[in-house]
Amino acid sequence: MAIARKDMAETAAARSAIYGFLATVFRAEPSAAFLARLAGDEFAGAFASLEGSLSDQLIATDRDRLAEDLAVEYTRLFIGPGPHISPHESVNIDMGNALEASFWGTQTVKVKKFIEATGLEYAEAFTDMPDHISVEFEFMQTLAAKEQEAWAEGNAEYATNLLAIERRFFDEHLDRWVPRFCDKVIAEADLDFYRAMAELTKQVLAFERQNLATETAESQTHA
Amino acid sequence: MTALNRRGFMKLASASGAVLAAGAADIRPALAGTIKLSQSGRSFSPTTGKERQAIPTACWQCVTRDSMIGYVEDGRVVKLDGHPESIRTRGVICAKGQAGINTVYFPDRILYPLRRVGARGEHKWKRISWDEALDEIAGRMKPLLDAGTPEKLMYHYGRNKASQSKVNGDFLGAFGTKTIGNHTSICEGGKWTAQELMWGGHYDNWDFDNTDFVLVFGSNTLNTHTNHIPVAQRLIDAHVGRGVPMYVFDVRLTDTAAHADEWIPINVGKDGLVALAMCNVIMSEGRYKRDLFKFMKVTADRNASVDEKIAAVKAGVAAFTPEMAEKDSMVPADKIRELARAFARAKSGVVVSYRGTIAHQDGADQERAMMLLAAITNNVNSPGGRCQGVGAGWKSPKSKAGQKTGGKVKALNINDGFPGQVAYPTHHVNHQVLKMIKDGRAGRPEVYIWSCYNPVYVNGEVEENKAIMKDESLMPFTVSINIVYDESSALADIILPDVTYLERWDWEDMVSPTQVAEYYFRQPLIKPLGESRDTGDIWVGLAQRLGIKLAWSSKEDFVRQSCNMTPGVKEAGGFEYMKKRGIWHDKNAKPDYMGFMSKIPASALKKDGVIFDQATGVYWNWKKAKAQSADEAMKVGYQNTPGAYKAYVGQEIDGEVYRGFKPDKVNKSGFLEFYSELLKAKGIPAFPTFTPIAEHTAMAPDELHLTTYKVAVHTHSRTSHCKWLSEIYHDNPGWMNPKTAAERGLVDGDRIRVRSKHGEITTHVKVTEGIIPGIIAISYHVGREFSGRYGSGKADPIPGTMADDPDFKNKWWDRHGVHPNVLIANAPDRMTGQQRWMDEVVRVEKA
Repeated sequence: MAIARKDMAETAAARSAIYGFLATVFRAEPSAAFLARLAGDEFAGAFASLEGSLSDQLIATDRDRLAEDLAVEYTRLFIGPGPHISPHESVNIDMGNALEASFWGTQTVKVKKFIEATGLEYAEAFTDMPDHISVEFEFMQTLAAKEQEAWAEGNAEYATNLLAIERRFFDEHLDRWVPRFCDKVIAEADLDFYRAMAELTKQVLAFERQNLATETAESQTHA
Repeated sequence: MTALNRRGFMKLASASGAVLAAGAADIRPALAGTIKLSQSGRSFSPTTGKERQAIPTACWQCVTRDSMIGYVEDGRVVKLDGHPESIRTRGVICAKGQAGINTVYFPDRILYPLRRVGARGEHKWKRISWDEALDEIAGRMKPLLDAGTPEKLMYHYGRNKASQSKVNGDFLGAFGTKTIGNHTSICEGGKWTAQELMWGGHYDNWDFDNTDFVLVFGSNTLNTHTNHIPVAQRLIDAHVGRGVPMYVFDVRLTDTAAHADEWIPINVGKDGLVALAMCNVIMSEGRYKRDLFKFMKVTADRNASVDEKIAAVKAGVAAFTPEMAEKDSMVPADKIRELARAFARAKSGVVVSYRGTIAHQDGADQERAMMLLAAITNNVNSPGGRCQGVGAGWKSPKSKAGQKTGGKVKALNINDGFPGQVAYPTHHVNHQVLKMIKDGRAGRPEVYIWSCYNPVYVNGEVEENKAIMKDESLMPFTVSINIVYDESSALADIILPDVTYLERWDWEDMVSPTQVAEYYFRQPLIKPLGESRDTGDIWVGLAQRLGIKLAWSSKEDFVRQSCNMTPGVKEAGGFEYMKKRGIWHDKNAKPDYMGFMSKIPASALKKDGVIFDQATGVYWNWKKAKAQSADEAMKVGYQNTPGAYKAYVGQEIDGEVYRGFKPDKVNKSGFLEFYSELLKAKGIPAFPTFTPIAEHTAMAPDELHLTTYKVAVHTHSRTSHCKWLSEIYHDNPGWMNPKTAAERGLVDGDRIRVRSKHGEITTHVKVTEGIIPGIIAISYHVGREFSGRYGSGKADPIPGTMADDPDFKNKWWDRHGVHPNVLIANAPDRMTGQQRWMDEVVRVEKA
């Protein structure tokens, strides 16, 4: 039982790390230092084992230049000006209702309320919309970190409930729009980086679709 | 990429954790606080009750600026409505106002500062921080101060009203530049200048609440007036509620014409001619009212008796017989007589005129004819007549001007057209600015910043505008402050994200139709989205970098100080009162009528510096006019002393001194001037007349007049990104009379090509009896190259399908109209600089 709980804790920690990474990738333009870390053996190795192409540019080129190019790419893909791939749930999700599927629409409110119902709040300095993809990832990162903490403390009921919240958020929000968003990025990216990150994100979500279901079921045995 | 398994997931997690751990400061967290779940999260529910707040604020979709209540739910603006306590709007707003929500929430909104990284117009941008943006702009401005050429900073606006105007002017003055462009010449500048030459101030309010007769020329008053909701509802009340007769002269069957007793079709540019013919009937049949003649100047002799004035007006309009007017205008002479008699017979009456009347060569003369018609029937500044608008008189903090330039505030001489082009450009000639920059002889701005403006799209000769703005040798550094990527911001070097009017502070002052001033207020309904920032706060950031001290620390502070220093508002509770109520007016104030008849007390004439000008009969203060000395002022005279109008005290008439029609912007006398020494001095007829329009006289048989017009649900260039409005109106076929269409072998719906000397557009034709023969009418709001997905219909400025989000699929319309300004010359009226929108001629053929 204790070993299984440890597994649950490890999985939660892993989930938190991956969502944290994705939040960083989609929050803002990458710095040269961040790119250098990605090019390092551990991340590049993990990525290569998935047969993903992280980009020759990342390895070979001047990273300051690459960071500059990716800033332009990030702006073009996710900011505009003019139409772009909105990184917001409310613009992407198709609920069959124009009010919900509109920028800062009622779907944004749903995301905001979901997050705030856990006791978290939006940081004063955060300037993007409440349903930005990076916020949703950061929320999952935070929930999973708390879950890991609960497992580690032996508070299985709390951990199980947190996992259920993660799954609910995943099912009701992330999984309903992010895969399609990633497809658009894959189709529109000029540079390899965001195409690779979008592919990775899709794979993470695909794994999580199964993983969260399994984990939730398993967690019941501990609660 | 292969699918992730648990092993891969854990490996990725380990690598991700290492990446994050090594760079803790990669991003700042979006979320704060800690997870706190009651009952260990057993009863977690993300659904909570809604809380709706009602916040008083004000519209800005169009210049009417109605006061409003904004409803906010879950941090989102969900509804806008009229402010029920407003004496101006009586709680009503229009469709444009309702759609204000679309200006905040649309997926193409600019939310971050952007710097161009490709060539101008290449649509290649990079997000930058506010610090980077302001450092770069300040870095471009500082050398202008160092070189003593602050005037090479040009700020150009499309709408700049109330506190917005004061804040902008205050910062720019402190910097030392008066190179401030506007857009009035493409709007109604010619009307204002005409009024200033006669009346003094500008902006006519039509007292529909008290009127007994309404004549409308060239104005779709019910749909599109610049004080739309306040006046339209009162016109409806008058016409429908009280049965007040309404007759509309227009080339088109507008909505206003359709609701009138009669639509009187009239040839293009002939409104003034018909007004003069009506004056002819009234004068020749002795139907005039004598009351106002005493205060009118109609000949060179300011001492002329009322009888002499009546005789002079009779003589002045004698040539304009109804038969003569019928020949040119198409309005039957009998109809002119009938309406002239009815108008003169009415106890009171309103003469409405607008852009259809004045956007012509000598359009100001047509406005003067309208005013003459009002004056001889005693319908000027009187109950039920055409009255000078009354707006709020706010006080505001002021910073020291020219702080780095020894107090000097200078301007490049590029706002008033080419030398000799315009006699009295009192509202500037800003459709000539780009041409003047290209010409270069009057200098060029090194830094050109614009907001609430789209110079490429809103002026004529669109392609030339684009070419000039694209040319870095002509315009080295350009900054657009905007909420949406449009035809001009596409050519900027830096784009700064503007707040919408639902996210900012302002005090407001638009004219009240009750002749009692209304003070009202705009406050943010929500925190500005993204990193959008009020222009006032942008100035604060630049001032800090340039070492300029402003008398206010933020836009909010500017508005707070203004509320706390403005008489009336201050006593009511100042800023805190306005935040709560949003609106104030003096309940004891009497409507402002007939103020020109007030006598100036003798004490005012004895004040230091006050002298009498024999030529005009004006008392004025030579010191206030900054003349060298009393002797010098007397010698040069009131009319020839620059800025003397600012020192006007009163007008001597028959031995008494009256407030009269106080001048503004030009040194006219205190008379209601129909005989203008100022125009005469420029070689323009002193008394209203009708001068045929050169382009129209020279028209070939196969040419048509082009007329453009507004619709109720759009502003010229700032609403097409609004989904609800573009859903209602997104296509603009050319209206054509069946006779004109038949001559060209056209039937309703045919594709047509419209050509002028300046360009060509392709649209389709709407064949209708609701327009006179010989013209084509095309509205001017749509045909957007860029203005968000709903405005332009384009998913992207560059190829791709990035904007195919679910809501975009609800956009059922696939026509997005054409832009007629491509066809129209940037051509100023010689009297005022008014853009001559309605003088263009075109050829139309089947496409």
